[in-house]
Amino acid sequence: MQEKIQNIKNQAIAQITQASSSGELEDIRISYLGRSGKLAKLIKEIKRLKKEERKQVGILANDAKQTIEKQLKVQQNKLREMVREWFDPTVPGAKTPKGHLHLVTQAIEEIAGVFEKIGFVRVRYPEVEWDWFAFEALNMPKWHPARDTLETFFIDAKPHPKYGQILLTPHTSSGQIREMERVKGTKAGVDSVVRMINIAKCYRRQSDVSHVPMFHQFEGLVIDEGIAITHLKGTLDYFARNFFGPGRKTRLRPYHFQFTEPSFEVDITCDVCKGTARLPDGQGCKLCKEGWLELGGAGMVHPTVLKNGGIDNKKYTGFAFGWGVERTFMMKSGLEIDDIRLIYSSDLRFLKQF
Amino acid sequence: MDILILDSWLREYIETDATPKKVAEYLSLCGPSVNKIEPVGRGNKKDYVYHIEVTTNRVDSASVYGIAREAWAILPRFGRKVRFNQLKSNLKQNSVSEVNYLEAKIDHKLCPRFTAVLIKDVQVKPSSEKIKERLSLVGVRPINNVIDISNYLMYELGQPMHTFDYDKIKGSKMVLRASKKGEKLTTLDGKIHTLLGGDIIIEDGKGRLIDLAGIMGGENSQVDAKTKNVLLFVQTYNPLNIRRTSISLALRSEAAVLFEKGLDPELVSLGIKRGIELFEKLTNGKAEPEILDLYPKPYKPKRLKTDIEFITSRLGIEIEKKEISRLLEALGFKTSWSGKDIEIIVPSFRTNDISISEDIVEEVARIYGYHNFPSYLMQGSLPEPPKNTPFEFEIKVKRILKGMGATEIYNYSMVPKEFVEKNALRLKNPLGAESEYMRDSLRPSLIQSVKQNSGEKGPFHLFEMANVYLPRKGKLPDEKVTLAGIFSNYTYREAKGVIESLLEQLNINAEYKPEDSQHFLPSRRVKIATGNTPLGELGIVSTRGGSAFGGDEKRLIYYEFDVEKLRKSSKSVSSYQPIPKYPAQIEDITLTLPERTRVGNVVSSILTASKLVKSVELTDIFKDAYTFRVWYQHPRKTLTDKEVEEIRNKLLKEVKKKFGATQKI
Repeated sequence: MQEKIQNIKNQAIAQITQASSSGELEDIRISYLGRSGKLAKLIKEIKRLKKEERKQVGILANDAKQTIEKQLKVQQNKLREMVREWFDPTVPGAKTPKGHLHLVTQAIEEIAGVFEKIGFVRVRYPEVEWDWFAFEALNMPKWHPARDTLETFFIDAKPHPKYGQILLTPHTSSGQIREMERVKGTKAGVDSVVRMINIAKCYRRQSDVSHVPMFHQFEGLVIDEGIAITHLKGTLDYFARNFFGPGRKTRLRPYHFQFTEPSFEVDITCDVCKGTARLPDGQGCKLCKEGWLELGGAGMVHPTVLKNGGIDNKKYTGFAFGWGVERTFMMKSGLEIDDIRLIYSSDLRFLKQF
Repeated sequence: MDILILDSWLREYIETDATPKKVAEYLSLCGPSVNKIEPVGRGNKKDYVYHIEVTTNRVDSASVYGIAREAWAILPRFGRKVRFNQLKSNLKQNSVSEVNYLEAKIDHKLCPRFTAVLIKDVQVKPSSEKIKERLSLVGVRPINNVIDISNYLMYELGQPMHTFDYDKIKGSKMVLRASKKGEKLTTLDGKIHTLLGGDIIIEDGKGRLIDLAGIMGGENSQVDAKTKNVLLFVQTYNPLNIRRTSISLALRSEAAVLFEKGLDPELVSLGIKRGIELFEKLTNGKAEPEILDLYPKPYKPKRLKTDIEFITSRLGIEIEKKEISRLLEALGFKTSWSGKDIEIIVPSFRTNDISISEDIVEEVARIYGYHNFPSYLMQGSLPEPPKNTPFEFEIKVKRILKGMGATEIYNYSMVPKEFVEKNALRLKNPLGAESEYMRDSLRPSLIQSVKQNSGEKGPFHLFEMANVYLPRKGKLPDEKVTLAGIFSNYTYREAKGVIESLLEQLNINAEYKPEDSQHFLPSRRVKIATGNTPLGELGIVSTRGGSAFGGDEKRLIYYEFDVEKLRKSSKSVSSYQPIPKYPAQIEDITLTLPERTRVGNVVSSILTASKLVKSVELTDIFKDAYTFRVWYQHPRKTLTDKEVEEIRNKLLKEVKKKFGATQKI
């Protein structure tokens, strides 16, 4: 009997503390203390007990009744005071100032990342460079228009007897010879294996809505035994898939550069018209040429260039490509920056968009 | 160079079932790139203009006939039927080295092949509708039949030609020579040119200059409405002389653009004969039976040798010998195999462009079609990377700054004179005075960047990581990667906090020492160093032009670091400190500092007052009251209140003695 009372008491307390409304509490009160409640029923049975037991059980039952009543009250108060404190979770956050990496930095990181995964080594070579590395060693004839003062910036300094004039490099290709010389100096038993990705500033005498006098290029150079056109294709396809996305296709078109033979221009399908040259409304796509966008030049390294870099051109062959960072990134993101000079402006309204 | 080719004109030489769109696609994949197809004309006169980019080495294809020749090799590879109508001439004229109607003295270094023929009794009148229409559609204004014929043939064959009024050539004599410096010549557009010397010119029997050869005719010998007799003139010239003259006189005529790329002397025969045909047909003129043809070093076929192994290794795929021959022969090469070796005879129009085995590989590969090649990634060993490349560190610094609200900027390396020190690198040929020098500091560009954002009212922080170029005698300049930034509408404390956080995140233990410097306001600059290595500086800049940007709190705060030194001083992982077993006692002490007390020094004094002072932070400034939070800690026990009191008294005594600071209670 005593045990039963104790159990009922415990049971009741457990239920009360879990109750979440007054209605629930009232139900609990009735089920224990009501006329036919669990405790009431037990109290009725006390009469049947032996006299000497009655007193003790009675005290216990009374105690249980009082505890339950008290507990009901406590819970009742608790619930009443749980009227919610006012709080507005929709208030806009107090933000820390948002910083911005320049889109050229973002582009460089992404491009370098793609190539580094297949073993390319990132390097950087001088922007202010000798003619030898920028032109002469790259098989560019003296009369070539790029060597003209109309196209390339020259520094007012005395020319070097062997390396010629000092200039601002117009392309990252000047890193080709430097990288060939670097690997020849390493002692890893792979003295003529090159997998370079050279990303740097370049300069050309030009300035209009689609040209800037300073821009960035990334140059890939691979040299090894048995490198063929198929490897150039494989690498460019890998880059296109991983940088532009699996839906984009590339193609090679014959082209001409002094430092590669054969030479190509690489195109990628236009993202705006999906390579159809037509927009959904039937208008012609203004962004591309017949569904293709020009990515940049590529080719198999000219044997004279290998020779000038100190590489045995009977044993080794290679390929190279050099493309504009800004242009490639804009083609990926579909950004249409109407005046490319904005990229090198200080305008925060522009810079904060990236 | 970009050329325009009319579809109907092209189809005079190649007959094919391929549509213009397909022709464009196939040409682009295997030959010259077609950038655009432009529909022109209407109804049964519907036609198309191809906009084609011809690379500088392939001037042989810069004409209707040249494109037809490419199409003939390429289209069958796509399963298209093609018939090629080769140009031939059945004229009976003979080529001789002397004629009675013209005495010519030629410098053959300037003019490898010289041809001319007199055509008598021409009638100058408008051209036929067909010629006028074709010329108009490719952007040439029709003038009269004589001039139109030479333009028409230049577009058809890629061979420029010229016509003189024969009766204006005094003494029927021509001397082709290099000009002397200062000689004057009036071209047919009425402009008078003073020559530089070394230009190719023609002088007549009276010593008058009558032609700026290969570039533009002379005014005094040009064909006009009264012309009766025409001297038709077809040559090749030394490309270097043509380019030099054309660029220096800014005379970029179509003829010059073709001649400067080096034309095929064999094309001259076809050119002059086609010319005679058209003249006789369209002007009713009568050509003399003999053509003057001065060609002392006639073309000898060029031969090349290579082998199947070379070709296969460069291609990366195997193409059968028979197939290789077929591909090359379609382009006009002649081939013969002997075992593994192949001998190739190069057609005259490709002599300049084909000289090594790799050139043969290119011809085979492009006609075979790059789209038919498989793609493979390289196998084999990996290169040895350079040690200690800076790239990861550089992006880490940039990301930390971005995280603290900075905006990255890229400014031009070229700046105006007032942005650099005396000995900075100067460009010989800048685009303008605002970009004449290579910058030796990032500061002036950054100050300018802030000024360009004068509309921005809130605080902002710009930074740049770029090279500065420090000249070195007889060497390339030192290209030093520099990190610099500028704060606008920041207080000095806020700005310094950003820099302190940056250095802390790079695990650099930096010291900040006040030291004046040229470009900063007095007393408002600190030199930043770690140990004995100077890293950079931070301070309030004096802006050139004197305009102070408001009071101290509103002025620009600039910082600069040598990135290589940062990198070498930075630990990528901070060193491990055992976690203290006993808790620190922390308390705030407010000191009243006399005016002009450097609070940085006060902090160092508190820190060094006792070994048990673990750390100090300035938490608040109110007027002259500075509140510091001080951490007291013993490595082996918990300090009692009494012990703390002793240390506190010691440090209070110290700052009182050094700075006259008193505790505010």
